[in-house]
Amino acid sequence: MTALQAMTIALVALGGLAVVLAYDPLRQAIVLGIYGVLLVILFVVFQAPDVALSELVAGSVAFPLILLATLAKLHGRREDE
Amino acid sequence: MSRRVRIRGFLVSALVLAALLGWGFAGLPDFGHFAGEYAQLLNRVATGERHATNVVTSIVFDYRGVDTMGEEFILFAAVITVGMLLRETRDEGRRAPRDEVRSDAIRLFGVSMVGATVLLGLSIVAHGTITPGGGFQGGVVCASGLALVYAAGSYRAYRAAGPYEFLELGESTGAGGYVAIGLAGLAAGSALLANVLPLGTAGELNSAGTITMLNAGVGLEVSAALVLLFHEFLEEVEHR
Amino acid sequence: MSYLPYALAGWLFMIGLYGIVTSRHLVHLVVCLSVMQSSTYVFFLAVGYREGASAPIFKDYPLGKPAVDRRQRDRDGAAPRARDRDLEARRHRRSRRAEAEAAMTALVPLLVAIPLIVAALLVAAAQRIHPLVANVTAAAVAATVTVLAVLLIFRTSHAPIDYWFGGWHPRHGIAIGIAFHVEPLGAGVAAATGALATAALLFSLEYFAEHVQPYFHALMLIFLAAMIGFSLSGDLFNMFVFFELMSIIGFGLTGYRIERRSVLQGALNFGVTNTIAAFLIMFGIGLLYGRTGALNLQQIGETLRHRQPDGLVVVAFTVLAVGFLVKAGAFPFHFWLSDAYAVAPIPVCVLFSGVMSDLGLHGLARVYWDAFSGTLGGHDEAVKGVLLVVGCLSALVGAGMAFLQASLKRMMAFVTIAHIGAGLIGIALLSARGLAGATVYMVADGLVRGALFLAVGVIMYGLGNPNELRVFGRGRGMPVAAIVLLVGAVTTAAVPPFGPFVGRTLISQSAPGIVTAVLVVSGALGAAALLRASARIFLGLGDRRDPLLVAPPTGEDEDEGEERPIGLGLLLRLPAILLLAAGLGLAFATGLADRAALHTLRGAKPPPLPSLSQHVTTASVAYGVLSGVLALGLAAFGLYPRRLRLPGGRFAAPLLAGAKAVHDGVPGEYVAWLTFGAAAIGAALALLIR
Repeated sequence: MTALQAMTIALVALGGLAVVLAYDPLRQAIVLGIYGVLLVILFVVFQAPDVALSELVAGSVAFPLILLATLAKLHGRREDE
Repeated sequence: MSRRVRIRGFLVSALVLAALLGWGFAGLPDFGHFAGEYAQLLNRVATGERHATNVVTSIVFDYRGVDTMGEEFILFAAVITVGMLLRETRDEGRRAPRDEVRSDAIRLFGVSMVGATVLLGLSIVAHGTITPGGGFQGGVVCASGLALVYAAGSYRAYRAAGPYEFLELGESTGAGGYVAIGLAGLAAGSALLANVLPLGTAGELNSAGTITMLNAGVGLEVSAALVLLFHEFLEEVEHR
Repeated sequence: MSYLPYALAGWLFMIGLYGIVTSRHLVHLVVCLSVMQSSTYVFFLAVGYREGASAPIFKDYPLGKPAVDRRQRDRDGAAPRARDRDLEARRHRRSRRAEAEAAMTALVPLLVAIPLIVAALLVAAAQRIHPLVANVTAAAVAATVTVLAVLLIFRTSHAPIDYWFGGWHPRHGIAIGIAFHVEPLGAGVAAATGALATAALLFSLEYFAEHVQPYFHALMLIFLAAMIGFSLSGDLFNMFVFFELMSIIGFGLTGYRIERRSVLQGALNFGVTNTIAAFLIMFGIGLLYGRTGALNLQQIGETLRHRQPDGLVVVAFTVLAVGFLVKAGAFPFHFWLSDAYAVAPIPVCVLFSGVMSDLGLHGLARVYWDAFSGTLGGHDEAVKGVLLVVGCLSALVGAGMAFLQASLKRMMAFVTIAHIGAGLIGIALLSARGLAGATVYMVADGLVRGALFLAVGVIMYGLGNPNELRVFGRGRGMPVAAIVLLVGAVTTAAVPPFGPFVGRTLISQSAPGIVTAVLVVSGALGAAALLRASARIFLGLGDRRDPLLVAPPTGEDEDEGEERPIGLGLLLRLPAILLLAAGLGLAFATGLADRAALHTLRGAKPPPLPSLSQHVTTASVAYGVLSGVLALGLAAFGLYPRRLRLPGGRFAAPLLAGAKAVHDGVPGEYVAWLTFGAAAIGAALALLIR
C-alpha cells in the first residue's frame, strides 16, 4: 500500500467520524459534502474511476442538494409556526 | 427503554460485533492480493466479446445486466413513491412562483452554465462504453443542469422549463425500455438481455451493440427521475 | 497495515451505527445511514483491489481488433461461433420434448420481466387512464404470473432449471453471468406470491376503488417482480438487488398515508432497519467474494466445501443470516414489523404477511444449503442450536404479543412473527423433513394469513376500525368475514387436517420435545388471540373493556373511520375465501414439498422420505388437537380475564408492561436491538464452532 492510499484512508476515517458527530443537520450537510469529496479521492486512488464518478455526482452533488431542500422545508415550517 | 440503557447496551453489543467483523476480515486475502477468477476472466474476455473498452460498463449492462435492471427499478420505484407521497400531502393552495435572486449577472452566469452542464452529462452518457461513466453518472449531471436553473434564481424559468408530464414519460420509457431491449434478446431466440445488435468497432461511440442502448435507457431514466425528484422537493419548499 | 482498508470499512460501518442509535434528528439519522452505505463501497473496493493493477479501461485497445489473442480466447472459451450454435439448435429441434422444455425455460425471465414492463407502462399512462383500468391490468398480470409459476413447479419437479441471463453460460465452472436457479421450492414460493398479489389486487378493486392512482398498482407489480426475482435468483448479489427493491417498495407502500404521524413512524422503522439489514448482507457478500471470487451461490458452495470453517465463514454466515432474519421479522429483529404492518394498507399487508416475511426465511434456507452447508456441515449442531433458539423465541414472543393486541392489524403482525418463528424452527432442523415442513407450512400458512388480513380488511371496510374493543359486537352482519377469521384462526393453531397442520407435523417430527411444546403453545396463543377478537366482534361475547390489551397509538386506525355499506361485496370477500381454500388445500401437496426439499438439499443426499400417511401419526394429531383445545381455553380466558383471579397477576403486570413498552420505540432502539441480536448470534456461533 502506498503512502497516498494510507493517507486517504485516514482522511476518510476522520471525515466519516465528523459527519456522524455533527449533530446539527445544516452543519452536517456541509460536512457530508466534504466527506463525499474525500470518498471520491479514495476511489480514484484505488483505481475505481467509475465508482468515483458515481460518488461525485450522487454523493457530493445530488444527495446534499436534496438534503438542503429538506432542511429548507423544515426551517420554513419552523418559521411559520 | 431509557436512552442511557439503550446506548450502553448498544456499545457492548457493538464491541462484540466489531470484534466479529475483524475476525471475519482476517480471513480475507491481504489487501491488494485478491485472486478472484471471475473478475480476471471478465477482464480478459469482456472487451473482445462485447467491444466496449470500459469493462465495467460491459459488466454492468451485459454480464450482470439483470442487476442493473433491478437497480434501475429501485430508482424508478423510489421516485414514484416520493412523488406519490409528497403530492398526497401537499396542500394545493399555491403561491405564485417568485424569484429570490435579483442580480442579473448571477442569473446570466447560472443560465449559461445550464447548456454546458447538460452537454457534459450527455457526453458522459454517450461515452459510457469507452471511458469511465455512463448512463447513471451522466444522467445525474444532466439532471443537475435543470437544478441549476433553479439555483441561478429563476424559479419562474425553472417552472416554465419543466414539462412534467414528459418527465414521467421519460422515466418510464427509460425503465420500460431497458426491459423491452432485454425482451428483444428473448424474442430473437436467445436469453433475456442477450445482445441482438451488431457489435461495431470497439472504441467508437456506436459500438458494443445493445449495451449502448441499455446505457442510453438508463441515462434517460436517471435524468428524468432526478429532475422529478428535485421538482417534488422544490415544490415542497416553495409551497411551504 | 495490509488490512487497513478493511478496517476503514468496518470503522465507517460501526460509527454510522453509533450515529443512528444516538441520533435525535431524522435528517441526521438518514445521513448516518449514508455513511454506513459508503462503508460497503469501501469494503467492496478493498476486497477487489489488486496491487499495481489499473482500472479495467482499455483505451490502448486497437480499434476493430479482438482484445486478446486467439489462444487466450480459446482457453477462456469465448462464446461458440455461429456455426456451432446452429448445429446445437438443429440438434435441439429434433425432439419435440426438448423444444417444449426450451419454451418452458423461456418462461423463467418472463416472471420478472412482464410485471416490470407493465409497471413502467402504467406509470407512463398514469395521467391518462382510469385507476380501475390500471387495477384490472395489474390483477391480470399477477394472475398470468401465477399461472406461469405453477407451470414451472411441474416443469422443474424432475430437474431444476438454470436460466442464464444474456445467454452467458458458465465457463470452466466459473459463472460469468447471473442465473435464476429454478427448483420446485422457489417456483412454489413464486406461485404463492403471484396468488397473493392477484387476491390483493382484486380486493383493492372494491376496497380502494378509484381512490388510488395507477402509481399504486405499478408499485404493487414491481413489488411482485422483486419478490419473485428474490425467490428464484441463484446469485448472491442479484438476491441482494431484489432484496433492496423489495425494501424500497415496501417502505413506500407502508407510508402510503404519510400524513398521519404513526404511518410516518411505521414506514421509517421499516426503512431504517431493513436498510441496515441490506448493509449487513453486503458485508456478507463481500466476505464471500473475497474468499471465493464468486457471486453464484452454487459456485461459492463448491469453493467453500473443501475447507474447515474459519472466522470469515462464520462471520459471513452470521451477517447474511441476520440480514435475512430482519426481513423475516424474527426475534429480536421484529420490532419494525409490527409498526409497519399496523399502518400499511390492507392489500399491501396481504403481501407483506403472506410472502415478504417468508421470503426472508427462504433466503436464509437457500444461502445455507447452497453456499454454507458444505463447510458448516460438520458443525451443524451449532447452527441448528442457534437458529432453534431464535425460532423458539420468535414463536413465543410473537404469539404472546399477539395475545396482548386489541387492533386486529397489529395482532396479525405479531401472529406473522410467531409463524415466522415456527418456519424458522423447521429450517433450523437442517434436515430434508424439516425443510419440507417449513416449506409447506410457510406457503400454506402464508396463504391463510393473506386470507386473514383480507378478512380484517372487510371489517375495516364495513366497520371503519380493526380494534376489537371499538367495534365490539358490530360484526353480526358479516358472516363471510366471520367464517374466514374463525376458520383461519383454528387453522393457524395447526389443527388437523389442513395445510399448516401438515407443515407443523413435518417440522415437529424431527424436532426435540421441548421445541414441539413451544410450537403447540405458540400456535395456540396466536389462534386464541384471533378467536377472542372474533368472539368480541362477531358475537359480542366477553367484556367490553380489557386492561390487558395494548391500546394502539392514537391516530393509528382513526382515519379509516367511516362505515361503508358492503352490499354484495363479491370482490371484498371472494379473494379471502379463495386464499383460505388454497391454503387449506395444500395439505395434499406434501409429496411435491418433499421433492422440493430434496432438490434444495442436493448436496446432502438425505434418505428418501416416507409418504404423507406415514407422516401423520397419532401423536401429531394429538398435538394438533391439544393446540386447538388450548387455543379455545386461552381465548375464553382472554374474553373474561377478571373472572379468573390468577395468583401471578401482581408479578405478571410489570412484565407485560415492559413487553409493551419495548415494542413501542424509535428507530434508534430498534437498531440497538438489531446490533444486540447480530452480536449474540455471531458470538454464539463463534463459540460453538471454534
